[in-house]
Amino acid sequence: MTNPTGGEKILVVDDSDLERELLIEVLKGAGVQNEFLQARTGEEAIEMLGTRYKEIGLILLDWQMPQMSGMEFMEAVMKVPPVASKMIVMITASGTDENKKKAKGVNPNLAGYVVKPYTPESLLDSIRSHVKLKS
Amino acid sequence: MGAKNKDLVKFADLLVKGTEGLFTERSELKFTKSTEKIFGTIVEYQGKMQADGMEKFNNEAAYVSAVNYYLSGADMAKKKAIGALIVYIPQDYMAKIMKHLKYPAVDDENENALLDSCGTLCNILAGRFKSEIASGGYIELEMSHFKTYRNNAVPGVDFCASEYDSYTINFYLEGAKRMVFDMSMGIVPARK
Repeated sequence: MTNPTGGEKILVVDDSDLERELLIEVLKGAGVQNEFLQARTGEEAIEMLGTRYKEIGLILLDWQMPQMSGMEFMEAVMKVPPVASKMIVMITASGTDENKKKAKGVNPNLAGYVVKPYTPESLLDSIRSHVKLKS
Repeated sequence: MGAKNKDLVKFADLLVKGTEGLFTERSELKFTKSTEKIFGTIVEYQGKMQADGMEKFNNEAAYVSAVNYYLSGADMAKKKAIGALIVYIPQDYMAKIMKHLKYPAVDDENENALLDSCGTLCNILAGRFKSEIASGGYIELEMSHFKTYRNNAVPGVDFCASEYDSYTINFYLEGAKRMVFDMSMGIVPARK
């Protein structure tokens, strides 16, 4: 599995402008130094991965999105060997164990599962080992 | 008459619990009056549940966001809803409520940003409700993406065809009615 601690970019996939903004603000505020890329839909994220997959080390993925959901995005990504190894953290409004199991079922290497609304600490804890932090 | 959901009041209680929990955890806001749960009948037009935001706040402009719940992924694909949650926020309180919930500042003159905020809030509330339902001993439901409107959900909102009843839930913050839900839910099986 790739690891973006060396400064690879973090791709944030969420249809809500506000959620993307909050996520990036929280992570930058916590000292994360990686550069961020943003996609509003699963389709846009796949397009971005198609051309820039080498730059991207971590994907922060919203579950509930119109058209292609986060789960459908993950299913699609898992079929493509060069991007299947990308670290993905699922971010969702519903934190039941069954949902976690479903996500793990699709992607056994799922790097994290964060429930909205998250605290800066809980978000950072789930990705700490995958990002470049200000020392 | 279809199969009536005798647990509807339990679902209303779970929804209130999840919502009040969110505000307790995430903001300094206090509910200034007890939350009102009003039992009622679904207002239906052409097979959809009507959702009029202005009617909730004495003809003030409002944002409306709705999600549907489904018993399974297959039902979701067929758009066969088991339930609906509709969230109404007055236009002049939309940016403020997001600020209280510690979201980045929202431009209260930007219509798209306000619609996005209403959908974001609805998604979080609906997700918590889904989790409360699962914790309450019912099966895990599937949840749709939110749809958002200004003043009125013109196309209407899907609901469980066998249900006629709903709850309207009024939340009071900073001395006034600031958030209203309409919730309907068909029979959700208990988890085995």
